[in-house]
Order: sequence, then structure tokens, then C-alpha cells
Amino acid sequence: MSTTNKKVMVVGGGIAGLTAAWELSQLDINVELIEKTCFLGGYAIQFCCKATDECVACGACSAEDMLYNVVNEPKIKVHLATEVDKINKNGKFSVSLGKSSPQTDTAEGGIAKGYSKNNSPLFVVVDKKSCKDIPDGAVEFDNIEFANKIDDIDAVIVASGFKPFNAEIKGTYGYHKFNNLVTGLDLESIVRKNGAVVRPSDGKKPKAIAFIQCVGSRDENLGNLWCSQVCCPYALRMAEQTKYKNPDTDIAIFYMDIQNTGKNFPVFYEKCKSDMRFVRNIPVDLYPVKGDKLEMRYMNDDDGLPVKEVFDMVVLSIGIMPGSDNVQLSELLGINLNQDGFFACKDKFNRTSTSKDGIFIAGTVQGPKTIAASMAHATQAAGEVMKYLGVN
Amino acid sequence: MADMTNADMEEISINTKVLIIGGGMPGLKAASEIAALGYEVSLTEKESDIGFQGETNSLFSLSSKDLESLKKLAEQVKSNNRIKVFTQTQIKSVTGVTGDFNVTLSKENEIKEKRVGAIVVATDFSVVPLNEKYGLSLSGNVLTQSQMEKLLAPDNKSGRKKLENKTVAFVVGFAQEGYPLVMERVMRSVLSIEETKGCSAYVYAGDLKVASDGLELIYKDTRDNGATYFKLKEAPNISPDGKTISFHDNVLRRNMELSPDLVVVEEAVCANQSNEGLAELLRIDVGPLGFLQKDNVHLFPVCSNREGIFVVGATREVQDLPLIWTDVENVALKVKNLLGDGKRVLPKEKAVVDTGKCVFCLTCYRCCPHGAIYWDEDNKAVISKIACQACGICASECPMDAIQIGGFKDEDIKVQIQNFIETGNNEPNIIAFCCQNSAFEAGKMAEAFNMPLPAGLKIIKVPCAGKIDIDYLLSAFVNGADGVLVMACHNGNCKSEQGNTFANMRVDDVHRMFEETGFKNDRLKYVTLASNMGQDFSSAALDMERKIKELGPSPLRN
Repeated sequence: MSTTNKKVMVVGGGIAGLTAAWELSQLDINVELIEKTCFLGGYAIQFCCKATDECVACGACSAEDMLYNVVNEPKIKVHLATEVDKINKNGKFSVSLGKSSPQTDTAEGGIAKGYSKNNSPLFVVVDKKSCKDIPDGAVEFDNIEFANKIDDIDAVIVASGFKPFNAEIKGTYGYHKFNNLVTGLDLESIVRKNGAVVRPSDGKKPKAIAFIQCVGSRDENLGNLWCSQVCCPYALRMAEQTKYKNPDTDIAIFYMDIQNTGKNFPVFYEKCKSDMRFVRNIPVDLYPVKGDKLEMRYMNDDDGLPVKEVFDMVVLSIGIMPGSDNVQLSELLGINLNQDGFFACKDKFNRTSTSKDGIFIAGTVQGPKTIAASMAHATQAAGEVMKYLGVN
Repeated sequence: MADMTNADMEEISINTKVLIIGGGMPGLKAASEIAALGYEVSLTEKESDIGFQGETNSLFSLSSKDLESLKKLAEQVKSNNRIKVFTQTQIKSVTGVTGDFNVTLSKENEIKEKRVGAIVVATDFSVVPLNEKYGLSLSGNVLTQSQMEKLLAPDNKSGRKKLENKTVAFVVGFAQEGYPLVMERVMRSVLSIEETKGCSAYVYAGDLKVASDGLELIYKDTRDNGATYFKLKEAPNISPDGKTISFHDNVLRRNMELSPDLVVVEEAVCANQSNEGLAELLRIDVGPLGFLQKDNVHLFPVCSNREGIFVVGATREVQDLPLIWTDVENVALKVKNLLGDGKRVLPKEKAVVDTGKCVFCLTCYRCCPHGAIYWDEDNKAVISKIACQACGICASECPMDAIQIGGFKDEDIKVQIQNFIETGNNEPNIIAFCCQNSAFEAGKMAEAFNMPLPAGLKIIKVPCAGKIDIDYLLSAFVNGADGVLVMACHNGNCKSEQGNTFANMRVDDVHRMFEETGFKNDRLKYVTLASNMGQDFSSAALDMERKIKELGPSPLRN
């Protein structure tokens, strides 16, 4: 069967959505890629490279590559600042779209900035009133091209992603109260901007850094009974890079259980153990001390005695939570969520399957995943769509 | 390729048959998916039957219903007329290249030749008991994880009877780092033990590997049903007869002792022993821990260093069954992208050998990281257009300069070098040779986000840092460059695995030449970057400018 007249809608322009769209386009299938924000790439495009002198296979550059592929592929039509309002199936799917509201919270001086040079546009004016200098090539939010309806869709891939854990929920840490208490996600943008880890309070390189693992994940109190699968990898890689760039940094990792990072984990972990301290204890709270530093109390691993220690900077390794649109999308599509709030699979071996014919899931909308795992899952979803469409 | 005209392209026919090595579940699933796309499949298995072998059942914690559906898959594969199954068959040799591999199979004394376009390697895990690492011999009360699973099997009534009123201790995560798959086996056994009358479970664990869907929930269930976990930094002391386990509890700050009726020792899940032999035959790289894939993001999930040879499931990584299914679907799509309908349109000048210059030294054959080079009857090197990734490592290594890469011919690059260097200005002239996959993109990022860059910086794009000849570097200085940057991917991130290593070696060579002539080494620097490191690109370029300002203009600058 010919593929050139087939059309698939992909909901979400993060790494899973980009990959699914790209793989479909390589099968000569037309793609309508729907993205809620003004920029493609999702969270993955915001991550920094974590290499030392060696690549540590974090996958952040894969997001960059995939974005480049997608924006240069004529078979993929991108709809930015767009949300799915309604979906009907009468043989084929017919979808009503709505314009999303501009995200002014991440904008600076009324301008939202893309994360990659491949974002097009690179700058979006989201609040004209507070805008002083408008960069070349900036597009006004209201002028972003918008379609309110797409008909004749043959299949749908939902790749709407995850929500990072809101660290404010763990109130005793005091996120947003203390300058030098950041999340893993904040740290990504700090490194992207400065080329190294620096303290938000004074822009100086911290001498002592603590990483607190499992913030929001594996937390029975919050009902979050899952491991986010990415936090040990990102924290250890970030810590190793910091140590590589600045060997005098003292780093402590507070953890429950260290999860594997990369294909050569036994070797990587040994290196980490020689470069930093691992404390098997999750501190409960933090106190501000002089010099914008933070003090914490924890149980010493060796003798079980309580210790007090001061750090220049503390990183909360926040986890992957179900996407903020999951509930609404699941109602819209008639697909159940699982007990954790991620999209449920119909076939336990095929995690792209859903209870609805012609609708597939890809990436973290199904559950926590690394960049590499999201990409593999999205390609699998594209393969399932191919089979569903009877394309040979 | 979009800007190429039809005259630059040619159509090539390729063989659309596929060989799958390994008749376990991943191989069967791959055979069935690839056959469904219309391709003819040969499936080889060294054992006498295909399907699940022995203990792999319990490895994936499958229910009897799951097993039924998987057995059905084996039957479907056997009866599929697009799939030929060769049991008790080994691979003897593999020659040829992508699109036309020539494979020799052997079954006892019988030898068969097969020509295929693509090869999928789908070997199973090996499961290795680790009791010796705990100083234990297997006995009536010291069991392996597999032995415990046999006792707990749904149809083993006497096994379960034996477990009644027993205290069972599991040790896991001290003799190996382990994987979620290893942890899941233990936790499933614990759950099952908790259903046995009077039976209680203790788990001594290093790091609990729970980074897998649903595993934290199973962990909670095991605890809710009564299991006790001791998470320790080091293995507990187990007496050689397995009758007592003693350890120090950090929370209670005292020594503890347990006298279990049974000790269950973890098993390692490792790469198949046949992997290394296969890798040699197939000329693909062996990655960490004996799995057949390097830890290189450009290969994920199912590619090897050779186009047309794919690795799935346990061949490349320890995975559970849903992830293996993901791999298989990825491989089916990659096979389709590669083989299509048996015709491929490819650029004529991807990599061209000047047969007049070629002296058959085989340098190119040896240095090609993609196994894309072979030779013809006239003893001249031939570069396969499908297998070649146009990295240009061979072109730069060829002692006769007999190889040119389309779009990156030596003469064009040298013209760029000459045109770029303006000797009339006062700015330091800096030439940056940038890999198109990483540093070139990082440079564009720095420009797009208005990061500071030296006024005299000129960027020359190369297909891979492995294409940066010593000639280019010298030519840049001869033409008046004050500083030269060689900008490559990080170690382990090169799409061609070693392009950056070659570039680094060539910079070292030039540094040695400089030392003899008194030319300053600081004028030439090797830098590694990723495509999203605009900030680091900017810093590296500015560092070079600062250095040149210190050193003054190049003595070779007119």
C-alpha cells in the first residue's frame, strides 16, 4: 500500500515526538506534529552535554540531532503553541486544535527564547508590553501560524511527555527559598549557560556540592511508587563532569539505591566512588547558613551517628512525574491511565499499545525513560503505526 | 542529499534477504516482524530447537499465559513460508558488504552458502551462578536463584511443600552490580515465598536496582507481605555451610545474626559466550562487558559499527522482554529503511578510489571503522556505497592520497583554507576545522545565540574529524594562519568511533614537527565538543585568540 497519502498526528514535540515524527517521515508518511509550547525539543533539548574528556552517553546531543532532522524534513508539518481540543473518529480521525496560552513564566523581558539554534523561530514575543529590545527574527506569539482543524488523520501517536517533580512539594527542603538550592533541571540550564556549575547567588564555582537523590520518586508518602530511572544517571554524570572540570570540588551524593548509568556501569561507578562520597541516607531538611550556604543533618554511613555538614550548593535530583495533560488527554482519547498516572498499555510486552485502535503512545507519557529509551520507544511506535496502516 | 541533482546519484540493487542469528525469543520475534515486511528470512540456531531454552523462562518472570503466547510465536515462525529455520547450525564465515553479504553456515558436516543484504544478531543471555563469589558451595540449603525458581514453579507441588515453615535468605547485589532484571527475579521469588505457609523471606541487598517499569511497586508488595530487607554496603558474612549470616546494622549500631534454613544466591546475567567469536566473524565491535555494541549514542538502539549488521536484545544489553520487543520493532524499521524494495539511490561520489593511485596496501581496509571496504579481482580497493558513511578516515590515512570524499575533496578544502586567510588585517587568523556532527553545529549555535567569537575566526566543515589531514593543518599555517583548532566529538561519541582519535593523533604528530622547528605548539589545539556546546565553542575559540595575542602573529604570516 502506498504511504504517500497517509497522515499521522504526533502529539508532543519532545524527544519522543520528534523521533516518532522523523521515523514516520522516513516511511514516506505525512506527519502533523503538535507542540503546546513555542519551541520543539521538550525537556531533552534543554539538557547540557555531560561529557568529561569522554562522552558519557547522556543523549542530550541526540535531541539536538533529531530536532535538526525534523525541522529540515518537508513531510513533517509543525504546529507550535497548539493543543488538541477535540478528537473524533469516523473511519479516520478528525482533530480540533486550540491555541495554547503564551508561557510568560519562562520568558525574560517579554521574550521567550528557544534552547537550540534549530528552534524556528528562535525568539517569540510573548508579552509585548514588557518588551524593550526585540531580537532579529523574533515572531510575535499571535503571529505563530495556526490551524484550528486537521482532518483525515490515519493514526495518532501520543508523545506528550512528563512533568518534572515540583520540588516545592517537599517543603522542608525550601526550594525557591534558598538561592543555592537548585533542581537537577535548573542545573542543566546553569551548565548550558555558563559552561560549568556555578552558584546562582554569586556566579562562583561551588567548593562543596550535595546531590539529594529520589526527590519526588520512590516516595510512598506522596504515592509516587516508581523509580524515575534518569536521576541517578544525570546526577552522577553531572557530578563527574564537575569533578573533571574542577577537581577540587567536594561532592556528596545522598541516595537510597544507585541505579545503573550507561552500558559500562561497573567501571563508571568505581570512578564515581573514587571521585565523590556516597552517603546512603536521604536528608530530611536544610537550613540556610552564612554565605548563602546550606546546612544539613544526616546519618553517617560508617557508624550510624548523626552529622552536620555545610554545602555551597545543593542539587535536588527531581524525578519524572506524569505529564500535566495526562488526565485531560486520557479523557479526550478514551485511554486509561495506570495506577501511577502514566498512560496504560494494552499489551504488557508492547508498551506502545493502547486500548484504542489507531492510537499509540511513545516516550515518557507511558512511564519514566532516558533519552535513548524514549527514542527507541518512539521508533517502536512508528513501526506499530506502519503495521496498523498496512504499509509494506 | 536534498541539494544533489539526479546526475550525482546512481541506483544500486541490493539483496533483500535477511539473516538472523539466534533462535531465542528475540530472534523469533525479529524473524516474524521482518518477514511480515515481505523480506525472506534465514534464522540460525546452534541448538536443536528454537524458542525458549531452559532457564530463560524464569529470567523474564513470565506467567503461563505469556509462555503460551510465546510458544505460539515459535510455531508461527516454523510454519511461515518466508522464514527458513536452520537448527544446530553455526556461522563459519561472513564476507562481502552491506547489501550483499556472503555467509557460510555449517551443520555438522554440511556447509551452506547464503547471500543476504542484512544481518541481525539476536543471541541470548548467559546466566552464571555467583555462589563462589560468596564463598559458598551449592548444597541442600544453598541454592542458586534458578534452583529456587524451580522449587516455586506453579506445577511443582512438592517443591513448595519443602519450603513450608522455612526461613529463606536471599543475597543479591554484592557479587555484581546487577540489573533490574536480576532484582525482579529475586522480588518475584520473594512474593511467591510469601504465599507459602509459614515461610518468611529476608533479602540482603547492595543497591536495589529498581529502574524498570513497575519494580518499585513489586518492592513495596514484597515488604507489605512481610519481607525484610537489609541494605548493606558490603556483603554480609555467610558461614561456609550457609547456616548463619552475620552483619553490622548501621541503624541499630550493632551486630546481627540470622540462621536461615535456605540461602539463595544471586545469578549474573551476562553476555553470551559466543558473542566475541561472532563479532570477529562479522567484524563488529565488542562493547563493554562482552555485549556487541559500544556505548555510543549514535548506535542506539540497534546499530553496530557496520551498516546492515544489527544487534538486538541481549546481544547488546541486559533487557527485559518489553524492551527486547522495542529493540525488535526498531530493527524491523531499520531493515526496511536499508533494504526497501531492493533498490537504493545513492550519491555517486560518496567515496571514490583512484585506482591508478591505489597500490593495494590495505591501509583503508584496516582503518575503515564501518567495514565498508573490500577489494576487486585487480587488487584495487573498492568502497561500498551503501556501507560507507563518508567519514573520510580512509582518505586521510591513505598514503597514496588515492581516496576522495564527495563534497569534501582535498583540493576544495585547500582552496577554502587559502581563501579564508586574510593576511592584510590585524586580527589573529584562526582556522577551526570542525566535525559536521558536533563542533560545526556548536559553532552555529554560538553564532545564533550571539555568543562572543574571535573576529578572525574561520570555520571549515569536515565530515568527521578523522578527515582532517596533517596536510590541512600544515597548509593552514603555510597560508598564514596564526592559530588552528581541530574540533572533534568527545571520545566515545564519534559516529565513526575513531575519527576523533585519528584527529588527535595527527595533532600530536604536527606538535612533534613543531618541536623540531621551534614553532609554538600552542598555535595548534585539539578540542572536543558536542553539538549543543555553543558556550564551550565560544570559550575555546576565545582562548585560542587570547593565546595568539600573547604569542603575536605567526612567523609564517607575510
